[in-house]
Amino acid sequence: MHTLGIDIGSASSKAVILGDNGEVAGQAVVPVGTGTTGPERALHEALRLAGIAPGDVARTVATGYGRVTWQGADRQVSEITCHARGVLHRMPEARTIIDIGGQDVKAIEVDPDRGFVRNFVMNDKCAAGTGRFLEVMARVLGLEVERLAEVSETSARTVSISSICTVFAESEVISHLSRGEPVPDVLAGIHQSVAKRVAGLVSRLGVRPPVVLTGGVAKNRGVVLALEKELRTEIRIAPSCQLTGALGAALIAREDLSKK
Amino acid sequence: MSGENRIRAILTGLAAVAARPGEAAERLKREKGKPLVGVLPYYAPEEIVHAAGMLPVGVWGGTADASMAGHYFPPFACPLVKSTLDLALRGVYDGLAAMIVPALCESLTFFGQNFRAARPGIPFVPVVHPQNRRTPEGVAYLRAEYERVRDRLAEIAGREVTAADLDRAIGVFNDHRRAMRAFLEEAPRHPSLVSPRVRHAVAKSAYYMDKADHGALVGELTGLLKSLPEESGAGKRVVVTGIMAEPEGLLDLFEEVGLEISADDLAQESRAFRTDVPDGGDPLERLARRWSLVEGCSLAFDPGKERNRILLDLVRNSGARGLVVLMIQFCDPEEMDYPLYRKELDAAGVPVLHLEVEPRMSLEQARTRLQSFAEMI
Repeated sequence: MHTLGIDIGSASSKAVILGDNGEVAGQAVVPVGTGTTGPERALHEALRLAGIAPGDVARTVATGYGRVTWQGADRQVSEITCHARGVLHRMPEARTIIDIGGQDVKAIEVDPDRGFVRNFVMNDKCAAGTGRFLEVMARVLGLEVERLAEVSETSARTVSISSICTVFAESEVISHLSRGEPVPDVLAGIHQSVAKRVAGLVSRLGVRPPVVLTGGVAKNRGVVLALEKELRTEIRIAPSCQLTGALGAALIAREDLSKK
Repeated sequence: MSGENRIRAILTGLAAVAARPGEAAERLKREKGKPLVGVLPYYAPEEIVHAAGMLPVGVWGGTADASMAGHYFPPFACPLVKSTLDLALRGVYDGLAAMIVPALCESLTFFGQNFRAARPGIPFVPVVHPQNRRTPEGVAYLRAEYERVRDRLAEIAGREVTAADLDRAIGVFNDHRRAMRAFLEEAPRHPSLVSPRVRHAVAKSAYYMDKADHGALVGELTGLLKSLPEESGAGKRVVVTGIMAEPEGLLDLFEEVGLEISADDLAQESRAFRTDVPDGGDPLERLARRWSLVEGCSLAFDPGKERNRILLDLVRNSGARGLVVLMIQFCDPEEMDYPLYRKELDAAGVPVLHLEVEPRMSLEQARTRLQSFAEMI
């Protein structure tokens, strides 16, 4: 009995297949999200790794931005619930979960007794502090997103970015570069900017450690360090941080079957 | 026609009025043969309009792009007044005999000044409510304001407005408020017939119909609903608070994610029907005393912060699992109240969802928030 969780985000598609005993039988991340071939490609790759056919999946739960429009699910569940479920499965000690995705940031407070979401906040109408912000800045700096953390480690000082708006921040970064500021220092400022936006959001919820970070941005060590500094607490990174939403969805699908 | 069919027919009619208020207002003017007076939120003395032989119609903005209003308002202005001014600039309100504008918040005060300059052809009737509303001086002051409004409306209508006219109008409006309260109490027992969107339409349609006609229909509707057995709703009950529950697509999301509205504390809905005009004496003074009786509204100065208790009671007494705050963008009075009642509800263990709303909002993020909240409670 296999279950599938598929997390269709704005920037990437993730799929997790759980096997008979709830173990991860296959998982995949494709760097394009809703409205593209990403969901199908992630699904097929996860099926291939699990060594099963689509008909072997007993139940599918979809989550993420594209959950409503994707046709292959038995049920759709919000990404907030799925991330909480996925993180708690791997890290039951988590009390605050921060998910930094392609276009939104979510801070989730977990109920320590019931193991469920107790409260949450999301960014609103603004991409500052999200993966998209970093993508835009990476393009201006002429770097691959994957190299941002590595480059920022060579920073000698932080060049502060004061603009919140992504477009104005882009102009500010260009202005710093044209004045001869070193790329690693400007990048440190960009990471600090993301951390400040995220910390501002999380503070509305209250920071209860342990704090766990999920989402693709969690792979950027520069953002993690800046966020630890802003929140003044250790940040733990969820294993397979991009896949916690899909894992949570697959776990919920499994629970659905056990209730039947 | 069976009871259920009659219920559906009434609800369909009211929903059509709420969906196209401009057309409904035109029809009202045509059918009743009376001039229409636009009434902005909140607590305008609509009874005086009625007593003057005219009909009040609600002016609550719209969902169109408010680009023309940008000449008068900055981008961070209340979207309700901004879209109202935009509609005014486009001539939508040109057929009105007058426009009553209470100045209960800064946005409305600025709106009044801008409207007066932008549309000088529409008689502008401002009303300034006192914030020290429970003192004898406050009541006397508001009575004097209403006297000025009465005289101005009498001049526009070209007729005298007598105390008997006012008493009759007060009776019509109090009857209507009672009918609306009875409906809003009965509605949660029938979630399959009265969805969040339908519930809102019943309340909103009141602003674009003759109050006597609307009250009669709502009274019939409530009676028919009461004759049906109470449903065991599959959804999770919540209370909503804020200024208004729009855009309407937002209410469809409530239904989509399995949330039922057990009670509301919306300025356009329950708050408007909660307080009757008290009995006895001079009608203008009775109207002024109504303002002194208003409780738990962000627009009315309330040093005791009764709204905290009212919201907690609404949640508890209506069997709700949480509170959804529909925070209209840039609304200072609502934002001032929020931290205070949030603190009390948090302390009482009531889950609260804060949702910023505006007429032209994207519903995708709202869907995630509402669905997550529904899964959480």
